[in-house]
Amino acid sequence: MEKPADLNELQWQAVIHEGSHVLISAGPGTGKTHTLTRRIAHLIPTLAPNESILAITFTNKAALQMQDRLVGLVTRQSQLFVGTFHSFCLSLLRDHLEHTALPKDFKVASPEDITGFDKATLERISHLKSTQLIINPDDDYKAYQRYLRQNSLIDFDDILCEALLLLEDEDLAIQLRQQYRYIFVDEYQDSNTVQNALLKILARDGVLLTAIGDANQSIYGFRGSQVEVFNKFEQDFSSAKVLTLKENYRSAPSLLTASGQVMGGVQLLAKLEGQGKLIIHQALTDRAEADYVVHQIEKLIGGLDMNTSKRAVRSLGDIAILYRLNTQRHVLAQALEHLGIPFQVSQKIQKSEVYSDEDALGQHEEVVEFNVEKVSLMTLHAAKGLEFPVVFIVGCEDHLLPLDLMGMKSDASEERRLFYVGMTRAKEHLYLTHAKRRQLFGQTMIQNPSPYLANIAEELKAYEVTKRIPPKRIKDDLQMKLF
Amino acid sequence: MKFIADLHIHSKYSRATAKNLDLENLYLWAQYKGIHVVGTGDFVHPQWFKELEAKLEPAENGLFKLRDEFANPVDAQIPPSCRAQVRFLLTVEISNIYKRHDKVRKVHNLIYAPSMKAAQKIQTKLGQIGNISSDGRPILGLDSYDLLKITLDADPKNLFVPAHIWTPWFSALGSMGGFDSMEEAFGDLKQHIYAVETGLSSDPPMNWRLKQLDDYILISNSDAHSPAKLGREANVFDTELSYEGIYKALSDPNDKGLVSTLEFFPEEGKYHYDGHRSCQVRWHPLETLKHNGLCSGCGKPVTVGVMARVETLADRVEGSKSKRWRPYQNIVALPSLIAEAKDMGTGSKAVQEAYMSILSKLGNEFYILLDCPLDDIKRAAGDVLAEGINRMRQGKVSIAAGYDGEFGTIKIFELGEREHIEQQLSLY
Repeated sequence: MEKPADLNELQWQAVIHEGSHVLISAGPGTGKTHTLTRRIAHLIPTLAPNESILAITFTNKAALQMQDRLVGLVTRQSQLFVGTFHSFCLSLLRDHLEHTALPKDFKVASPEDITGFDKATLERISHLKSTQLIINPDDDYKAYQRYLRQNSLIDFDDILCEALLLLEDEDLAIQLRQQYRYIFVDEYQDSNTVQNALLKILARDGVLLTAIGDANQSIYGFRGSQVEVFNKFEQDFSSAKVLTLKENYRSAPSLLTASGQVMGGVQLLAKLEGQGKLIIHQALTDRAEADYVVHQIEKLIGGLDMNTSKRAVRSLGDIAILYRLNTQRHVLAQALEHLGIPFQVSQKIQKSEVYSDEDALGQHEEVVEFNVEKVSLMTLHAAKGLEFPVVFIVGCEDHLLPLDLMGMKSDASEERRLFYVGMTRAKEHLYLTHAKRRQLFGQTMIQNPSPYLANIAEELKAYEVTKRIPPKRIKDDLQMKLF
Repeated sequence: MKFIADLHIHSKYSRATAKNLDLENLYLWAQYKGIHVVGTGDFVHPQWFKELEAKLEPAENGLFKLRDEFANPVDAQIPPSCRAQVRFLLTVEISNIYKRHDKVRKVHNLIYAPSMKAAQKIQTKLGQIGNISSDGRPILGLDSYDLLKITLDADPKNLFVPAHIWTPWFSALGSMGGFDSMEEAFGDLKQHIYAVETGLSSDPPMNWRLKQLDDYILISNSDAHSPAKLGREANVFDTELSYEGIYKALSDPNDKGLVSTLEFFPEEGKYHYDGHRSCQVRWHPLETLKHNGLCSGCGKPVTVGVMARVETLADRVEGSKSKRWRPYQNIVALPSLIAEAKDMGTGSKAVQEAYMSILSKLGNEFYILLDCPLDDIKRAAGDVLAEGINRMRQGKVSIAAGYDGEFGTIKIFELGEREHIEQQLSLY
């Protein structure tokens, strides 16, 4: 078999690997989805007619994207299930309802269905459910489960827990193993304990697991995902092989070097040529920071009116602004709105978006009639898996990155990974901005630059100072002064 | 009925426009200028639309008039010689910024609507797509093709007019942000476009040189960002005074309702020649060729102006005419002519006073520029201005061409000529 031109040697090895479980460690921009889809396409013809492949993605959107990519590659679509853990488990529960303890008319709870429990309690219970296989129920937990049951509801976490319970039925497990001969899991670093347990049941007796992901991009610890799952792969799945993709096709070499430095020496091989730009900007306030960002965007898209026109190099859809906390978006949105620059805010990823089977929840994707370009605003978390020619990360300040603020504190290494995820979204231009003073939750904070900035070698950074933006660049119409 | 229409203007809600660009001032200045039908501009902007609903009332089919309660207080400011009825037609300009074939496109397009309802439909649709409240001329990351589709879907009688099609940065055929053909820009929907706006930097003969523009009628508007700029270009119609009359004149190839257009001298436009404003490099396209398109000041590519762009896309020799050609008259704004006659700045108080005085003696600006007997002008404003208008009517003006966003500068009189004309007068 000859290696096709659109795969590099390491990707090719991953595609054709046979005979054992395999963990493909794939850093940002190394062609993860490409490799995954090619491997699926490679394996489908080897299946018997009654066998299939189970491909687990992290979000519904990713599932749709993967299906799209497979359309041309795979002729036997029927032998393929692509979906999230939750959509797969939900269909299991529906198909084998009689073997579960669930009410016949059970419904997956949406946030509005749940009343009388505060956010902290719900978060704690959710964390328990996704990290513990055996739960010691406290009173809150018991009350919550009783509430769900009384209303014929199951929550997102229950979908997985109930499926795990269902698979204790060995006959069913055997049946599934005979059906799904290969299992693929994308974003493996973000799978949690329960998902791991499910995989351990399914990927046995000749069923081979292909897990793909990047330990350096594990950012969902608060949701129960455990980077250890990634590191324990060879233990969990015996005689597993680990392959590593090393060639980056996304970012300019200098940006790749810089993100590697932040991540403590991660070294990917830059396949792109050309000069990247890494710009550091310090603003006086968060407002000034937003003005700077918006002014840069105006320049990048070649000006908005005749008097400020320059050759347009970027379109609106080429640009993303990333931030640590959702609340940071307001001042940015205001500044963009002021100039009328189209933008969209991707809200914090809801569980329903990450996990669930939208159809089963009665939420249908809005039909997109026109492709409308906008500048993207989102949290660093929401940026995972995306890429943009130009990325701004705002608020590169200590206590914000890494987050350690008003009782909000996150695992230090996870914060670093989050910043790494943000940096590696950029293809050509990366702006890291910070403010000296910032309004957050009604308080004015005096801020220092994020320690991550110091990890980047000086020769890779260009410091840009704000030039005073002239008031309004309208050349006053002479005749306007008439009368 | 014969009437003059200016169908591309903006309101105070557009970026970089005069604060007094409201309906009252449009009503006022339309009469100073002699415009009978003026665009409302910006009808997609929610606040402006509210003002339109509150202050306008339906007049002739599809046209609107300022309600008496708002018009009456303004009337006092208008010399009786200029008083005339003013009608409004619903217009808006959209700035489309999008990527096509990996190139960033920035295209401005005009939409005309036959009714408040049709306008509201477009407003609602565009409001779902993007932000329409920040700028009267909203920026949307939407393909021009899709905007055209939305326009046609909202009401079949809507008109879609690609704006100032040659402007380098923001137009359908512009050298920097546009396409090489209407086909490329609008695909299978291009047959639903009937008119294109030539913009200040091109005149009809330049446009006639492109076969691809044969099916379109050429129109000219001011794109005014302040009331005083109304009518620096305009259209002369002779048809029924109604939306339908205008619609037919633009859409029906056999209709003769559009009589002629009133045009800037294209050299006066901001983008006629090539060059770099910041390097003060102003080049005729041939000069640009000699320099391989690179600025002698900074070494970067110069902004390619309209003249060069037309030359690139033209497939006919100079002097040929298109199927739907109309006569045109080049004009220079009266305040500029007065300033030239007086050898003073256009904004000076003396020029402003003279302008109002001439208007009250003779009538509106278009009458003075186009039709008023020269003797009348002599009597009212002196020989030098009369001679200036005479030369303008004959096209005998010298202009240092505009480039890279800098307006061209008009010169009508040589040094000492004014005195000479006045002396001739004193001889008699």
